Amino acid sequence: MDVSDILASQAAKHKSVLVEKDIPLEIDTGFLTVTDLNPIDNESYEENLEDFLQATARDGIQALLTSLFSLPTKSSPDGPLAQLPPPTTQLPRAKPLPKPKPPTKWEQFARAKGIQQTKRDKKVWDEEKQEWVARWGWNGKNKEAETQWLHEVPANADVGFDPAKEAKDARKARVSKNERQRLQNMSRSQGASTEREERKKDIDRTLATTRVSTASMGKFDKKLEGEKKLRGVKRKFEPAERSIESEKKSNLALLSKLDGTHKKPRREGGGDDVLNVRKAVRFASKGQGGVALGRKSGGSDGKQKGRGKR
Amino acid sequence: MLRAVKAKNARSKRALEAREPKEIEDARTTVFVRGTHTGEVLNGAMKELMALKRPHAISFSKKNTIRPFEDASSLEFWANKNDASMFVVGQSTKKRPNGLTLVRMFDGKVLDMCEVGVDNFISMNDFKTPKAAPGHKPMMHFASELFDTHPRLIQLKSLLMDLFNGEVIDQIHLTGLEHVISVTLAPTPESLNSTAAFAEDDTKSLPKVHIRGYTLKLLASGVRTPRVELVPMGPSLDLVLRRHQAADPEVWKLAMRRPKLKKQDVEKGLGKKRKNMEVDEMGDLRGRVHVAKQDLGKLQTRKMKGLKKMPGEADGADSEDSGDGHPRKRQKAT
Repeated sequence: MDVSDILASQAAKHKSVLVEKDIPLEIDTGFLTVTDLNPIDNESYEENLEDFLQATARDGIQALLTSLFSLPTKSSPDGPLAQLPPPTTQLPRAKPLPKPKPPTKWEQFARAKGIQQTKRDKKVWDEEKQEWVARWGWNGKNKEAETQWLHEVPANADVGFDPAKEAKDARKARVSKNERQRLQNMSRSQGASTEREERKKDIDRTLATTRVSTASMGKFDKKLEGEKKLRGVKRKFEPAERSIESEKKSNLALLSKLDGTHKKPRREGGGDDVLNVRKAVRFASKGQGGVALGRKSGGSDGKQKGRGKR
Repeated sequence: MLRAVKAKNARSKRALEAREPKEIEDARTTVFVRGTHTGEVLNGAMKELMALKRPHAISFSKKNTIRPFEDASSLEFWANKNDASMFVVGQSTKKRPNGLTLVRMFDGKVLDMCEVGVDNFISMNDFKTPKAAPGHKPMMHFASELFDTHPRLIQLKSLLMDLFNGEVIDQIHLTGLEHVISVTLAPTPESLNSTAAFAEDDTKSLPKVHIRGYTLKLLASGVRTPRVELVPMGPSLDLVLRRHQAADPEVWKLAMRRPKLKKQDVEKGLGKKRKNMEVDEMGDLRGRVHVAKQDLGKLQTRKMKGLKKMPGEADGADSEDSGDGHPRKRQKAT
């Protein structure tokens, strides 16, 4: 049975969904936008403006819809949702990028030491009550020590020792310490150096370098009015908090120094004016050094013997 | 300038936080401002544009003495006050009748502006056709080669896209697509074709801009993609380009900065193209896995006592080496 004519008639019923253009259309599916870069046809524009505009728009939108319908979909209660790719057209932002929150002192320390941030639950399990209780706040677990009905008193306590008050004061002190640290963090984050300050520092550094860059290291230079005396470099120490990597590296460097595998620094001043000990050793050992000489002379110690050929 | 406001309660704190810069921004809130005089055409045009822009639109229905190109301080004040980052200013004068100025802001300051004159305006009400539901994301269509080459029209395209379509979304319901905004230019005049360098302020030679609103009609086509037909919905505007102010390159650079995508977003596919993953014709996600060539030398076969390495063997070989090493060296030296 020949079905080709049936198929042909079926196809004729549906109009084509293909769009053919000289220059392919630029489609930005992320913004649902299509740009038709073909030059506008003058004749059809003059002939019937509205029809021409509608026909061009139809072609463009058809192409856009074809690409939209080919996108992967995700099902949802309302029906399938097409997953749009990020837009290719770049539009300017309305506001600058959000600034990252400045890290607290503890966060800096934790990052340097590689300490993982763990989120603490607001509730803790109380073994005695057999239920979850608040860690802090109303009836909080942190007030347990001051609200318990029986207190332990140390043997050497004063007469007026009040254990409940002691526990409460300790808790209040922790709270105020935390508040103080919070304020310090806030002031530190606000006092972060700006670009202008950085530039000022840079200029000062350059100026200081130029001031000592003459033959007399600036001793006989003409002083300007209000010019300050150059300050020397202050001693600097390693910071208390460092990253694990740098700490490991410096410790290993120290260990390798103790190990003696590396070249030892030369000791000057061995011997007197007549004898240069270093030179003499080199001559005696035929350039092998003092260690090799020592091994040669006293080479028959027990350890060496034991490691011979079996 | 507005003073820095400190939140006094939780509600105002939330409101202030909503105004803070975000990584992925919301749609631009647009304020429609009337100048000292707006004619019937401008009033209608602004009303209809606002209807398309809803719900991200604020109307200033009273008259305002405002000249965006001379003094932008009022715009900056309104932008801060209303958390708006776009303005459409209507002003009709004898010299520039029916002028509509599109102003885009960045960080509370004017970024760029473009003034267009409304030549011809037909309201939505004049088309007795079904209208698209407000709040639907429109599809946009731009037609002319000048949208890729001429700085004025590149700016206009960017402004119009920001006005109607600026919000970035990651998914869309395909049956919800029903609104089309088409922007077509008149044929490119010879002067623009021939000269390579465009005279910036020569607005006379620039072609007319035709903005048309359509609704979609989807017909069965026998394949998955439906056949599209458009029905005019309005409004239709014919615009001529007038004055403009391009963005300061420094500020533009700041405004074009993109947030660094988070790792999970990259994995989700928002950022770069995902490696070794593709969507096949059925819409299924398919992945390719690379398996290295198997090393049969390391294959664990049956263990036998005779093949076992003795613990002493390795040590003996070591001591032999070290024992030999030193004497040989010494011999060489002597």
